[in-house]
Amino acid sequence: MRQTRILKAESFRLAALFAVLFLALTAVLIGTVLWIVAGTERDTLVSANESDIATVMNGLRAEGLGEAIEVVQQRLGTPARAAAPRHRFLPDTYMVIEDAAGRVLAGNLPYVRCEPGTFTLARPWPGGHHHPQMLLGRCAALGGALTLYVGRDTAAMYFTRQRILHAFGWVALGTCAFSILAGLFLGRRFMAQVDAVTRTCERVIAGQLNDRIPLRGRGDEWDRLARAINEMLDRISALLENLQQVSSDVAHDLRTPLTRLRNRLETARDHSTGITDYAAAIGQALEDTDRLLSMFAALLRISQIEAGTRVRSFAPVALSELLERLYQFYLPVAEDCGRPLSRELRAGISVRGDQELLMQLFSNVIENALHHTPVGTHIGLELGSAGGRIVASVRDDGPGVTDEERQKLTRRFYRGSGSRTAEGHGLGLSLVAAIAQLHGAQLLLSDAGPGLSVAVAFVPQPPPDSAGLSG
Amino acid sequence: MRLLLTEDDAELARSLIARFRDQGYEVVHMPDGIQGLRAATEGDFDAIIVDRMLPGMEGLELVKAVRLKKATPIIYLTTMSGIDDRVRGLEAGGDDYLIKPFAFEELLARIRVMVRRQAPAASRLYAGAIEMDLVARRVTRRGRPIELLPQEFRLLEYLLRNVDRAVTRRMLLENVWDIHFDPHTSVVESHISRLRARLNAHCDIDAIQTVRGTGYRLLAAN
Repeated sequence: MRQTRILKAESFRLAALFAVLFLALTAVLIGTVLWIVAGTERDTLVSANESDIATVMNGLRAEGLGEAIEVVQQRLGTPARAAAPRHRFLPDTYMVIEDAAGRVLAGNLPYVRCEPGTFTLARPWPGGHHHPQMLLGRCAALGGALTLYVGRDTAAMYFTRQRILHAFGWVALGTCAFSILAGLFLGRRFMAQVDAVTRTCERVIAGQLNDRIPLRGRGDEWDRLARAINEMLDRISALLENLQQVSSDVAHDLRTPLTRLRNRLETARDHSTGITDYAAAIGQALEDTDRLLSMFAALLRISQIEAGTRVRSFAPVALSELLERLYQFYLPVAEDCGRPLSRELRAGISVRGDQELLMQLFSNVIENALHHTPVGTHIGLELGSAGGRIVASVRDDGPGVTDEERQKLTRRFYRGSGSRTAEGHGLGLSLVAAIAQLHGAQLLLSDAGPGLSVAVAFVPQPPPDSAGLSG
Repeated sequence: MRLLLTEDDAELARSLIARFRDQGYEVVHMPDGIQGLRAATEGDFDAIIVDRMLPGMEGLELVKAVRLKKATPIIYLTTMSGIDDRVRGLEAGGDDYLIKPFAFEELLARIRVMVRRQAPAASRLYAGAIEMDLVARRVTRRGRPIELLPQEFRLLEYLLRNVDRAVTRRMLLENVWDIHFDPHTSVVESHISRLRARLNAHCDIDAIQTVRGTGYRLLAAN
């Protein structure tokens, strides 16, 4: 099982491929060496033959046939030549002077029927070997009907080739063994990594969502892959947690208004005495329904925003103008409910974002201040820059919220201790937080001493396309 | 007045048809996009109500196809509440966009406004004794000038364009302030009460009528 997996491993397949390629290259190299060596040896034999032929011819020309025969006998009789290295029983030089009638005048070969030119002579080994003896030689005309043949045994060439081929065999064997070992080693290491990833994935599938792939700390591509998978798992489990939180919140927070609605309808059924009672009950039930629906709408909005697809349609938004419009929009209602509204807006500031969502963001913050402060609270809208960032804030001088509460304000359905009875569904600031996050802005809730300050800090956008749109 | 309703939810369609008939409207109902398109292009209607998600043909495609032939006012009914959805719907040629669930009065008010939209080119608007000069940005009632803040001016302009017709809070929010979400404060009421105070300063007839459960109506008889 493990073996087959190793054999399947990509790295092993690569090692095998390399082995084959290496063998092929070695074969080409060996072939070249063989060709060069054979060529050189052949040249050596040919030039030795030529030198012998020249010596015999010189003898013939200087002193006639007798001298030529003498030279042949002398050369064949030379002990140095006769004691040729490899085949002690056989000479490696062969010469013969013969005439057209088939008589051998001198030499150590039988009649060869020599015709001028270079030729290879094959003759059976005198010892009865199954390979014939190969002579490489040349035939020269001596004048008259006489010819001279000089040939040399090619066995030396054959042995050289054998030795090279043997060497090649060993090299090939070594290469194969090394490739296979390297493949097995790499394959096992590769599989160990794959197994680590697979095991983690299997555990996550089995429900252990917090399991992560161990990092080896080498910073190599395996670590990079492991880190990416781990980050993906982090993101997924964060989303999942969020989802679980939301579903339980939704289930929990819907129960209250639904119970209220149900009670109302029940009371109407049991205690209404006339059409006006029914009408009043239905009117209230409709209001309850609307509140539930607006809660759903807000939840849907938040999830749409958190999906992040709006970023694609971001454009420069003149923030100064937007806040001025909201100021004008809320001024009458703020006056009517006894919470004076003021603004201090620096002109010409714009940010990159979604106009409608930003409008909703600041609108929610202003409404929050209107709803959750006592009458007489002063609410201020500010826009300026601090620490290189664009900061828009809504602050009030009401009683404020405790540090502990401030942490929880942006949670879904969270409603401050004082606001349980107030209007709203506890989603306003979650929506604000979601929109701020979409804009890469920081939502800062702080103590305005006294009161609460809700600030949104934007990272300034690059200047080019903001220039003409502010003011 | 004749309406074409393309809506695949039979129960919603039935209740809408009943309520429109109570208001004296004639309603033709088509349960899918293909029949809806045929009826819209062949028939003669004062307004078309289109569900965004229809079997046979998507609401958006239907509107695009109708727009090639007719200029009949179209309003979408939809559960698609995303900002992009609204923008795409209006770009396809729809005139208004109403997200489900909605109050019938809201739909009725929007259809009435859509059907009798005044020519936008007019430079003067009238309603009884109230006169608005759009170029000089001046308003008078019985010849007496009335000072208005810019957003009060825009609010009155919208009411004047729809004189004698009920407009809802949501319609005012969208058309006067370009706000497409529901504020949880009585912003519109506060603005109306200020406008009302200015309009009625020297006059004992209230020009702006509050329509219970719906919104407001600027009366021509003032």
